[in-house]
Amino acid sequence: MGYKKYSDDEEENDDVEEEAEDVDDEEEEVEEEDEEEEEERSRKRKYKGSQFIDDVAEEDDDEDEEEEAPRKRRHRRASAFIDDEVAVASDDEEEEIEGEDDFIQDEGVEMIEEEDRGRKHHRSMLPEDDQQENVEDLEKFIQQRYGRHEYEEFEEAETTDVEQQALLPSVKDPKLWMVKCLPGHEREASICLMQKFMDMDMQGKPLLIKSAIALDHLKGYLYVESEKEAYVREAIRGMRMISQREVKLVPIKEMTDVLSVEKKSVDIDQDTWVRVKNGVYKGDLAKVVDVDHVRQRATIKLIPRVDLQVLALKMNEGLQKGGKDADMKNKPRPAPRFINKQELQDLKISVDTKRDPNHAGEYFEFFGGMQFKDGYLYKGVSLKSIDSNGVVPSFDELQKFQKPTDEGGTDSMGLPTALASKRRGQFVKGDAVIVVQGDLKNLMGYVEKVDEDDVYVRPKDKELKGSTLAFKDRQLCKFFKTGDHVKVVAGTHEGATGMIVRVDLGSVVILSDTTKEDLKVFTANIVESSEVTSGLNKLGDYELHDLVLLDQSTVGVIVRVEKDSCQVLKGTPDRAEVLTVKLRDMRKKLFDRNTNAQDRDSNVISLKDIVRVVEGPFKGREGPVEHINRGILFIHDRHHLENGGFLCVRGMWCVALGGSRNRLDRGGRQAHNNNFNGGFQAPMNYLQSPRRSPHPFHQGPGGHGGSTFGGRQMGRRRDHGLVGTTAKIRTGPFKGYRGRVVDATDHDVRIELESQMKVVTVRRDQLSDAVGSQYHNGGGASYRESPRYGAGSETPLHPSRTPMHPAFMTPMRDPSATPIHDGMRTPMRDRAWNPHTAMNTPLRDSSWDDANPSTWGNSGTPQYQPGTPGGRQYEAPTPGGRGWANTPTGSFSEAGTPSESSGPSYGIPASPYLIGTPGGPPMTPGVASYLPSTPGGQPMTPGTGGLDPTSPALGMGGLEIENKWGLPEIVVTVRKAGEEAQVGVIQEAMPDGTCRIALGSSGEGDMIIATHAELELVVPKKTDRIKIVSGELRRSTGKLIGIDGADGIVKMDDTLDIKILDMSSLGKMAAN
Amino acid sequence: MGRDPAQIPTSFGKELRACLRCSLVKTYNQFTDSGCENCPFFNMDQDSDRVLDCTTPNFSGVIASMDPTGSWAARWQRIGKFVPGCYALSVTGVLPEEMAAICEYNNVRYVPRS
Repeated sequence: MGYKKYSDDEEENDDVEEEAEDVDDEEEEVEEEDEEEEEERSRKRKYKGSQFIDDVAEEDDDEDEEEEAPRKRRHRRASAFIDDEVAVASDDEEEEIEGEDDFIQDEGVEMIEEEDRGRKHHRSMLPEDDQQENVEDLEKFIQQRYGRHEYEEFEEAETTDVEQQALLPSVKDPKLWMVKCLPGHEREASICLMQKFMDMDMQGKPLLIKSAIALDHLKGYLYVESEKEAYVREAIRGMRMISQREVKLVPIKEMTDVLSVEKKSVDIDQDTWVRVKNGVYKGDLAKVVDVDHVRQRATIKLIPRVDLQVLALKMNEGLQKGGKDADMKNKPRPAPRFINKQELQDLKISVDTKRDPNHAGEYFEFFGGMQFKDGYLYKGVSLKSIDSNGVVPSFDELQKFQKPTDEGGTDSMGLPTALASKRRGQFVKGDAVIVVQGDLKNLMGYVEKVDEDDVYVRPKDKELKGSTLAFKDRQLCKFFKTGDHVKVVAGTHEGATGMIVRVDLGSVVILSDTTKEDLKVFTANIVESSEVTSGLNKLGDYELHDLVLLDQSTVGVIVRVEKDSCQVLKGTPDRAEVLTVKLRDMRKKLFDRNTNAQDRDSNVISLKDIVRVVEGPFKGREGPVEHINRGILFIHDRHHLENGGFLCVRGMWCVALGGSRNRLDRGGRQAHNNNFNGGFQAPMNYLQSPRRSPHPFHQGPGGHGGSTFGGRQMGRRRDHGLVGTTAKIRTGPFKGYRGRVVDATDHDVRIELESQMKVVTVRRDQLSDAVGSQYHNGGGASYRESPRYGAGSETPLHPSRTPMHPAFMTPMRDPSATPIHDGMRTPMRDRAWNPHTAMNTPLRDSSWDDANPSTWGNSGTPQYQPGTPGGRQYEAPTPGGRGWANTPTGSFSEAGTPSESSGPSYGIPASPYLIGTPGGPPMTPGVASYLPSTPGGQPMTPGTGGLDPTSPALGMGGLEIENKWGLPEIVVTVRKAGEEAQVGVIQEAMPDGTCRIALGSSGEGDMIIATHAELELVVPKKTDRIKIVSGELRRSTGKLIGIDGADGIVKMDDTLDIKILDMSSLGKMAAN
Repeated sequence: MGRDPAQIPTSFGKELRACLRCSLVKTYNQFTDSGCENCPFFNMDQDSDRVLDCTTPNFSGVIASMDPTGSWAARWQRIGKFVPGCYALSVTGVLPEEMAAICEYNNVRYVPRS
């Protein structure tokens, strides 16, 4: 009943007329409270709380503050209240008791004193304990006093996770009920329930609730544990902050979820890395210098973001305020920068240097209301305004935080603490670890098992072998040795792999596989792995090695892709400049497939051409051109270790290497090449535009079409082949004019007229067919001359860009492969096609004489023989020629039906070729040598030589080897004339150039004898065992561990070295 | 009620601290004045510095345990054998080694509550 009154007081005022004065007082208070302001209310609440709060607390007050009259009064009244209730419970003379203040007071005091005595007795134990100096006595006492507790607690403490599972709620257990309460008052509500419970208990009407749970993260709700909903309702009745209406049952299954509170990981301690949550320093990394957990404040150390000039201005202006705050808001926040004393002096900012008693009396500089030391800002913040959760400073940040003047890690605490905040699950079974903390420090071992809390380690130490020790993950650190090959699994370099070149505490330096650069990563972020990946190679629409536009005038090549940014090698040839560019800062991707540039000798360089740098900072480097932009080349030199091997150079600093590009001899050789290149180019173009196939007919004895012809057939792009040539306009308003072609597309040509200082655009078909014919009578002859205008050097470029090449190439590589061998293109063309020259030579008399006598007759092959570097390529023809000679019939027949052997894509170029050349049939063998069906090994080989001048693979001396490359154990495809191709294994290579071959992929079949011309290497696949058939390493064996375009990555058997060799020099070995 | 309940926090704000061993929640002053009911051997009432060592303001959630023996939640929270009172649901931090040694000395096993 007593309780009812108590609760009704708050709800219905009319009901309480007969109530005691003090109760009325209470009521008044409640009413007052409702009217009062928010702050007031909270004060009141405390006050009210103390009224019915545990008497122990009040006794304390009474004892200590006897002289404090007002407080005492309050207490008395409160006690009286309690007393009243007790009285109500014990006897019915409530009115009598409550009638007079004096009486009540007396009663109250008496009660207190009575209770106090009991309490005192209760609590006096402890002071006495302390007085007992004898520890044994103390122990004895404690055991007596708390023995029961101890035992129970001990038992309880042993509760493991498994046993915790046994505690799962069952139907027998009390249920949890969810009630609504005022948001922000959850704790208060639960504590009040506790108080109420005790009060009611004292009245002998205990509430039948077991517990009340307030969760910090669940606003507006409270859980009450009880057997029945009615008990809950009873308990919450009259509680202002708890909604009386809703009481919801929590399903048994969800009961544990209620209590599984996520651990509050506010673990801010000295030297913890934190991030500032708001203000100017929002998001900035800071280091905790000092924490005051009681006041919930911390001193943190930051890189100042102070605009000294603004500060100086402010200080000099004195106390002028107003409008400044608005200014501040609009201003971008100052960049983080260390404070420099010199700067302060320059700006005349007065600095006080004082000791700070809070920080061990160290000296600090004070100015502008801020505190600085060694350039860092020291700032006192509330613990709530910093975030230590999951703060993993990146290496960059740490480096920045490390003041430049600091000599090598005075801040060395940085790394280990940074590691301390690593994420869970970083250890996996098999990791080599080292203990970094605890008794077993420096013990090494391997991770055996990882569970929620512990990492089980099998020690390396012999004496401890067999045992498994459990460690906390913070006690362990992954252990790596220099030379380990690892993979980065987190952080900016995520995905990269490389070899460890240096091990520091908590971090390692790895040499990236892709970029060949040093990466500094935390050991926590790496795992041992034999995997070789390129790391990330895509970011948005951009891929590694793309040419991107950074701003109007700047381009660059992506040399590394990181998590959200790219490293871009800027197109500044004078110095290698790498920028870290965010995705959004990249304007667009540039396509430069058709761009070209000029080298020092005004040769045109296009993509994939190999150039050598002869000037500038990268003098001596060489490699294929990967990108071209406005005369600037991006070269990939795989021996260059920085920036992923990319170099940025001016085109004018380079010379093009290899093939016809070398202009040491500008004369007829070039012309000759053009001629043939052009000649063969014509058919190629049909691949692109087959609809034009009738053209060769119209073109007549086609070979002479040369570059003009080729140029016209070009697709819809610029035809640089024509640029620089002299053309005559056949028809239209400019009929008869002659001029230099300055630009050309497949429809129009812009010509700079010779007679007028004017550039005009004319349709291509208005041009005279015989471009430059005024100089020469024969159409073909013009190609001799064209180099004069630069066309010669350009013409050969066409083939390299023509998609045709791959198609021609492919069969040589692998009849079934798709045409992707980009790397082979350019040099290959020269090599590949030059043989034709040689082969054509015998045909010349019969078919070509009429068309272009000058070319063939006068400046034909012989002229090239003396050519210096070019000489090489002119020897190449020989094998081709020989190939033809060796297999006259077989090749011929094969070539006659190209579509059969290599499919339609091949057939198309072949046919126009045949049509276009009157001497078709005799020519065919030449073509045939490039067909899959032919003894293709030979043409391939010279191609190799041209492809990579740096590779030791094949030189001129390779000729002999080329011819007799056969080595035992190599798997080959045998193509005998008129027979099906068969796979066999070379058993023996005879000195006469034939091989004994056992048919079957592992040599189990019949023995046959075949010439080299009939043999073709079987292209090895990754992981195949291989034998090297040419070059210095001929006869060596190894394993192909990777294929990179035209290069094979081979692990040598004897030396275990990794070599990069041309695929064509690798023969697959028969599996044993 | 089987046992004398612990003091009930006199406020609900920042001054609340939780005992690192038993997770009892009281105000700082309550701890300094009368120590921790479950862990009297810490003698917090004798030495207020002990309060700083043995209690923490870094806790979350409050469970008012009225009938610890009969409450499932109290058992689950491993406070079933402690006196009735207000406890934290989770406490961050561990006892300093010295304090852990005191537990050991008093034959009380200390299991960090975090």
